Amino acid sequence: MAPAALWLLVFNVWPSINTIVLAFTNSRPLGGGRFTGLDNFARVLSDAQLADALLNSIVFMLVCLPLLTILPLLLAILVEKKIPGIAFFRTAFYTPVVASAVVVALIWSWALNDRGLVNGFAQWLGVIAEPIPFLTERWLLVFSAISLTVWKGLGYYMIIYLSALGNVRRELHEAAAVDGAGPVRRFRSVTIPGVRNTMLLVSVMVAVSALRVFSELFILSNGTGGPGGRAQSVVMLIQMYSRGFYGHFGYASALSIVLFVITVGPMLLLLRLNRKAA
Amino acid sequence: MRRRWTGPVLATVMIASGCGLGGADPEGGAAPAAAATGEVKGKVTLQTWALKPKFTRYMEGVIGAFEKKYPGTDVEWLDQPADAYSDKVLSQAAGGTLPDVVNLPPDFARPLVKQDMLLDVAQVDAKLADEYVAGGLDAYRFRGHQGTYGYPWYLNTDVNYWNSELMTKYGLDPEKPPASFDELVEQARIMKEKSGGKVLLMSRRPELGDLKEAGVEILSEDGTKFVFNTPEAAAVIDKYRAAFKEGLMPRDVLTDTYAGNAKLFNEGAVAWTTGGGNHITSVANENPSLAPKIVASPDFGVPPLYVQGLSVSKRTRNLPAAIALARWVTSPENQSAFAHLVSVFPSTKASANDPFFSRSDGTNAGDAKVIAFTSLAKAEVLQPFEVTDAMSKFIRQQVSAALTGEISAKEALDTAVAECNKLLNQ
Repeated sequence: MAPAALWLLVFNVWPSINTIVLAFTNSRPLGGGRFTGLDNFARVLSDAQLADALLNSIVFMLVCLPLLTILPLLLAILVEKKIPGIAFFRTAFYTPVVASAVVVALIWSWALNDRGLVNGFAQWLGVIAEPIPFLTERWLLVFSAISLTVWKGLGYYMIIYLSALGNVRRELHEAAAVDGAGPVRRFRSVTIPGVRNTMLLVSVMVAVSALRVFSELFILSNGTGGPGGRAQSVVMLIQMYSRGFYGHFGYASALSIVLFVITVGPMLLLLRLNRKAA
Repeated sequence: MRRRWTGPVLATVMIASGCGLGGADPEGGAAPAAAATGEVKGKVTLQTWALKPKFTRYMEGVIGAFEKKYPGTDVEWLDQPADAYSDKVLSQAAGGTLPDVVNLPPDFARPLVKQDMLLDVAQVDAKLADEYVAGGLDAYRFRGHQGTYGYPWYLNTDVNYWNSELMTKYGLDPEKPPASFDELVEQARIMKEKSGGKVLLMSRRPELGDLKEAGVEILSEDGTKFVFNTPEAAAVIDKYRAAFKEGLMPRDVLTDTYAGNAKLFNEGAVAWTTGGGNHITSVANENPSLAPKIVASPDFGVPPLYVQGLSVSKRTRNLPAAIALARWVTSPENQSAFAHLVSVFPSTKASANDPFFSRSDGTNAGDAKVIAFTSLAKAEVLQPFEVTDAMSKFIRQQVSAALTGEISAKEALDTAVAECNKLLNQ
């Protein structure tokens, strides 16, 4: 018990307290700092880049949430069937999960840039005259990152659903079929109630990771956050302000607290909705 | 009542002290930890930046000769990888484990000077100004701090590099590359038209250095505020914006990092880049067929001065050996030997007359070396060391937004200056 408590204290409790305290200071990596009251939070309210970043993160979550909650479930139902060669498809869908996020994002940035595979192919087909600025226009950049996240996340959540589907009793499906229920009805009335708790878990995981998105946007925008920094996420802002010899730990900590609050919000909402539905 | 407050107050004090609020200064102190004079012997640590494995033999030779010259000395050589060197130095400084002699470019040295962690070498070395070039020494003198906080080691600057094959193919004369920004735009227009936009000449957006070259002051005289939001600076960005709008630059410039144009140049997507005196050698590794086709010409305006130096930790326990080692590595002989291996330039006055630097061997790399060496005479540090990572990133973001036309150049500069001042004074 003692080692676990110590671990929790050192790696969870202490950093959390430290972040809260730093948020009220102008602390730097070298030389400490001083208490500045609510200055960092006053700055949060007037930070135009943070407003953009919050909007990006929320759009990211709103698009990813339904896609990564429903699509992996459908995929899991497809690959759950015991037919020859299905293992190949399971593996193929899961492959993006084991690939490094950085490597995958780099491959996507090569594919999506102005001289990349996608634009080159579309131009060769004559579909477009000019390259589509996937990586240099705010919303195209955000949606490119969303596509990457969904593509990479499908296999991961599919595996979670596969294990949940294994617990849905086969007799229920058979009984529903005997009563004349078609595949859609069985999906709605048997499968979904059977995996409801897993869907909730997946929703919470997707919402939290979408609000905390970093790698995809960072690498696709080459670390710049797009023109004007308008395609940044909140975590990218935290990274920007906290690194280097002159890292602004105080402001970065205030941003971390803002991110924590907005991450906890949807989580509580989803739990509450589930409790009501149950 | 008093007892009830004791717990929270104690907790607050403990938290505050643990959160780096006490101005903890693990390396600081008014005086060096050891005397400057005395016999040169004992153990001393030297940290360099990404010299292994390419220059292992050179460094081992330099260290071996030092140990031979000063019997009883033992140099421990630490070489850190290129990536995340600033993080490594930061953790060493914060943890009180800075090596005795450490390779720090001036922008890394400045925050350590602010915390009183580096030795003012001018105090212990009277010959400094006689032996090292003024530009190199000036880079280690910081606003608000008396002293010189490093021995300049090697210098470099930027040279223009052109892809002669692409220039010839698309109607340009590589013998007469652009000599100014206006000529660059003119020739970029020709290349775009003749190549049908397949190959472009320009591929970089303006940086603070470009504003400085145009005569714009970046920081106020007293270093307390940024002042680069002038009409002259806006005019520079407007020129780039017009070129971008005309399609003379790829859209990649909007999200490229500093080295972005070199990458596009190496891929053959654009025909111009800037780089140090040794750029052709680097290209030869990445794209061997491109290297022989490159021609070099001088930078358009005031060339940037890049300085590397060796600083001495104020906390060193072996000051005589640390100073002797820093002087030894940066001595004219050792710097010249190093510069013969790679196109960097010595910071010592005695090396200036070495014909190796002023005479080309007839190769394009040799020509580039001579151009870089000649340019050094008028090179300046263009970006103030007060500019931090976050500021640089913010400025680039605003300039990119101005290039797209989303905001005006003036708006971009005003926003950038406001944010930089906020960060500077925080």
